[in-house]
Parts: sequence; C-alpha cells; structure tokens
Amino acid sequence: MSTASKVFNPQRRLVEYLLYSLLMGLTILTPFAATSFGAATISVVDVFSVLSHKLFSIGESLGVRERIIWELRLPRVLLAFIAGAGLSIAGSVLQTVTRNPLADPYLFGISSGASFGAVVVLTLFSQSVLWLSLPVGAFIGASISVVMVLGLCGRNLSTQVERMLLSGVAISFMFGAMASLMLYFSSPQAAASVLFWTLGSFAKASWQGLWLPAAVVLIAMLIILLNKRQIVAMRAGDETAHTLGINVSHLRLNMLLLCSLITAILVANCGGIGFIGLMVPHTVRLLFPGRYPLLLTALVGGLFMVWVDVLARTLLSYQELPVGIITSVMGSIFFLFILASRSAKRI
Amino acid sequence: MANVKPSPALNQQDNHVLLVNNLSWQLAGKAILSAVDFSLAEGKMLGIIGPNGAGKSSLLRCLYRFITPTSGTIELFGEQISTLSAKMFARQVAVVLQDTPHHFEMTTSQLIALGLTPHKGAFDFTSKRDREEVTKALLKVGLQDKANQAYESLSGGEKQRALIARAIVQRPKLLILDEPTNHLDIRYQIQTLELLRTLNITVITSIHDLNLASALCDELLLLNDGHCVAKGTPKTVLTEQRIAEVFDVCCEIKPHPQHGNPLISYFYGYQTPNAADVGGVDEHSK
Repeated sequence: MSTASKVFNPQRRLVEYLLYSLLMGLTILTPFAATSFGAATISVVDVFSVLSHKLFSIGESLGVRERIIWELRLPRVLLAFIAGAGLSIAGSVLQTVTRNPLADPYLFGISSGASFGAVVVLTLFSQSVLWLSLPVGAFIGASISVVMVLGLCGRNLSTQVERMLLSGVAISFMFGAMASLMLYFSSPQAAASVLFWTLGSFAKASWQGLWLPAAVVLIAMLIILLNKRQIVAMRAGDETAHTLGINVSHLRLNMLLLCSLITAILVANCGGIGFIGLMVPHTVRLLFPGRYPLLLTALVGGLFMVWVDVLARTLLSYQELPVGIITSVMGSIFFLFILASRSAKRI
Repeated sequence: MANVKPSPALNQQDNHVLLVNNLSWQLAGKAILSAVDFSLAEGKMLGIIGPNGAGKSSLLRCLYRFITPTSGTIELFGEQISTLSAKMFARQVAVVLQDTPHHFEMTTSQLIALGLTPHKGAFDFTSKRDREEVTKALLKVGLQDKANQAYESLSGGEKQRALIARAIVQRPKLLILDEPTNHLDIRYQIQTLELLRTLNITVITSIHDLNLASALCDELLLLNDGHCVAKGTPKTVLTEQRIAEVFDVCCEIKPHPQHGNPLISYFYGYQTPNAADVGGVDEHSK
C-alpha cells in the first residue's frame, strides 16, 4: 500500500460520518440556540414557543420577548446564515474556476466598489434619501466594479485568470482611493457610519430586507449546482476541461458574474464581511478531502456565520462588535494555523 | 452501411476518421505549422514524431480545437470540426494531456468519472450505469485496486493509465495523446502504448522515442519546423538519412528481430556535419 495519509480508507469514512452527524445536529439546534443569545435574556424554550405561535398559531403570545425574537433576532440569524452560505459558496466556486486557492469574492474589487457606492450615498445624498439607499448605492458600486473587471479580463484563456486578478486589484485600489478621498472631505458622522458598514453587521436585518438576498443566493446556488459537473472538471486544468467539452472561458466568466451578484447583494445588505469566502471552503476541503461538497460548504458557511454573529452580539455586554472584525481575526489565525501545519508536514 | 459503393475514392473517404488538409498555424507572424496534410483510417494508431519545437503539440492542439488554425481544414468523419459544438466534439474526441495541476484532490475514480462530462446534461445525475462504466474502465487499465486512492498518490505509470481510463469513459471515436510516455520508465512506456493498442479506437499520439514509435504505431508522421517531412508506415518513414537530417544524429537501422519494423541504433561521439541544414529537409518534403 502507498502512503496511508493519501488513502481514503474506512477510518476516513467513519470520520466523515461523524462530521455529517455533527453538522446535522448543529443545523437543527442552531436556529433555536442562536436566537436565544443576546442582550435580553431569552431561553431556547421561549424561542420554541414563539416559533410555534407564529408559524402554527399554537400557544400564546409572549409580548415583548416575542417581538424581540420574531422581529429582531430571527431575521438576523437568517440573514447571517444566508450571507455565510452565499459567501462560502461564491468563494468555493471562484477558487475552483480560477484554480487559485486565494480567490475570494472580495478579490475582484466588489467590496471596494460597494464601499464607494455607499460613501457616495452617505456623503452626497445623506439629507434627502432614506436608509434604504445605502444598500442600493453599494450594489450599484459593486456592479460597476464587476463590469469593469469583466471588461478588462478578456477572452484569451492563457491570460484570463491573471488579468482577472490583476484588474480586480487595480479596480479595488481605484475605488478605495476615491472612497477615501470623499470620506476625507465629509462629516465625521458619515465617516463613522461608512466605517461601521464597511466592517459588516447584521444589525439592520428585517423580514422585508431578507427576501432579496435569500432569493439571489438560492437561485445562484441552483445554477451552480446545475453546472457542478463542469465546475468540478475545471479543476483538471483549462486545457483538459476544454477537451471535456466545456467552454472554459464562458463558464469562468459566467461563474464570476454569478458569484459577484451574490457578493454584491450581500455586501449591500450586511457590509464587507471578509475571510468567510476563503476560510470556509478551505476548512471544508480539509475536513472532506477529495470531495467537492457544494451544499456542505454552504451549510458550514451559514452555520459558522450565525455563530460568529452570536459572538459579535455577546462578547461585549452593552455594545455590538462588527462581525467583520471577528471574522478577520479568526481568518488570520486560521491561515497562520494552516501555514504552521503545512510547514510541519513539509508540504 | 451503404450497399452501393459509388467509387473507390469515396469509399476510402468513408473509412477516414480524420482528414487534415493544408493545415497552417501562425503565432505572432511566425509559422509554427505549415501546410500539413494527412488522413487517418479507422482503428489505426498514428505516431507524431519530430524534434523538440517541431510543432507536434501545436498540431495536436489544432486537432482538439484548443487553437484555431490560421488556414486549412480538419474533417472528423467528413464534418468540419469547427462546425461542431464543444459537447458534440468532446463526445467523439478524447484527449490525454501531459500534466494535471498540482493539489489535484480527487480520487482515481472521481478523475475517471470526469470523462462522463460531455455525455451529461445539467439535470443528469451519475447513474448506476455510469458507475459501472467507470468500474469497467478501471478494470481495463488495471487500476481496480486504486479506485478510491488519491490520484496524486499514484505512480507515473498509474496516473497515465488513469487518464486513459478517463478517456475510455468518454467513449471517443478518436483518442489524442500528447507524449503519453514522458517521464515513464521503459516498462510503463511499453505498457501504456500496448494498452492503447488494445482499445480498438483510432489513436493519434505524439511520441519522442523513435524505437517505441516504430514498434507500436501503425503509421508515423515526421514533423520538422512545422513541415510534414514524411508520413507512412514506420518502415517508409524511418530511414538513416532522414533521421540524420531531422535530428542531427548518426544512426544505423536494422529490422527488429521480433516485429521487423525499423530498429534504430544511435552512434555516439560525433554529429553529422551540416546534416540538419534546413534546405536539405525542405527538399525532402517536396
């Protein structure tokens, strides 16, 4: 037999089975448990009774606690789940179609485009327009940056990925500079709200604001699943993928567009939450070597995001932390850990 | 099959898997391939030989449509390959390339199952029959014990066989390989080529080892500087003079004791003076 670590043996099967069961358990428990955490003391039983009252009209209303659970916490948990799932699946797909392990939904200038859009809305239209226009501005900014990256990356297969990454970096810096310039000349309040939004938060979650991200992430996920065979084949290299009957350039551009749409809609709603799109696909790949579990990546990403948001709500007793800070801290520690374990294995 | 055969010429065309006519390809004004013509009959194994930079890989890339020729036509069963859809083309032509990317985390059977890609629509799941097909391909290349092993952990020869198994699952009518014997020891070189012969598919392969090409290919096509210098059976293509001209080495050719095809023995210590002079080669190709 050859090297034991490379063989997918029965022991591995058992580990995977345990991991699946653990995830299943977490998936069932998370909506109740995560909703019960927060400033106001609410038990899991309360969450359960509110859900049964709201969904099936069983039991009695719990008054203020019901409003906290139903109108504040539950949409928030759901938005966090959608955001985590969407960003993870976008990261996973982008890493596969560009064959770059560091590809990230934010790498293509989307977040800086969105920030720029948000800054424009906050500094130029702050008096006249509603809160709602910040997501709209962010979405427009993100879309502009994506269109520019797509326009710049070209159709030539041998240079496409490189051009994609380079133009993403260039556009990222350009929008970053413009946003900074506008912030520099704006009021401190605008700067503070842009900063809070840039760091990411689910605090503004509401049922009305939920359907658009949910629909976009679901539809995009469906399209990705329908193209799964092609996406997986891209791992074998551009030329091999071509010989398997895949229009490589088309597939890559379409997937970039799709992932950008997911990211743009999420950034517009919850701000820039970094590292999820990098960390979760890498973790899933480590836990399930030799597989390509798209749905699992989405599930892990969603659950992870929900619990990071719980941390953001509860770490400081009278203040919320932006989730982006927590994910970035976790992300950097995660990558240092990977680096250390790799050099230990001399890979 | 048509029971009336209009003319022997047309009939011969029917048997052609591939018909390449006046194929040229230029890269940044430099001619990489110039006016290459050849045809390939069903079930034959064609070896593309020639020195480094002769245009072997470029010719193959034209054949599997990775690059578009500057001029000339390529017909697959009488149809222009440029008119076929990517999927339809991949159902007829499978390709085994030299290298796979690093960190290619797939098991052998997952890699082989990639060959199903052109046969599957968006809503098709991998069926029991597909899995049987993968198992059959594994058996055919003798990798049944390595099915669930990581592809990266396989030896060079096993990797090559796994890639061929992937091509088998693709159910092609034409199989194109780019130097399948590279980096393999002689046992695996022979094993790989003999495996190709057992598949009963029309095969085009580029190959460096002239003795191996002579022993195991039905036909050879000798390229030099993008020109087709000679084509035909190993006996007609491999001559002492031509090898001296194209490869700039001295050699002696005798029939192989087993199969009678040319067996080349190279002489060491001196090169043929001015033998690889381009003029001489060009004259020969005319």
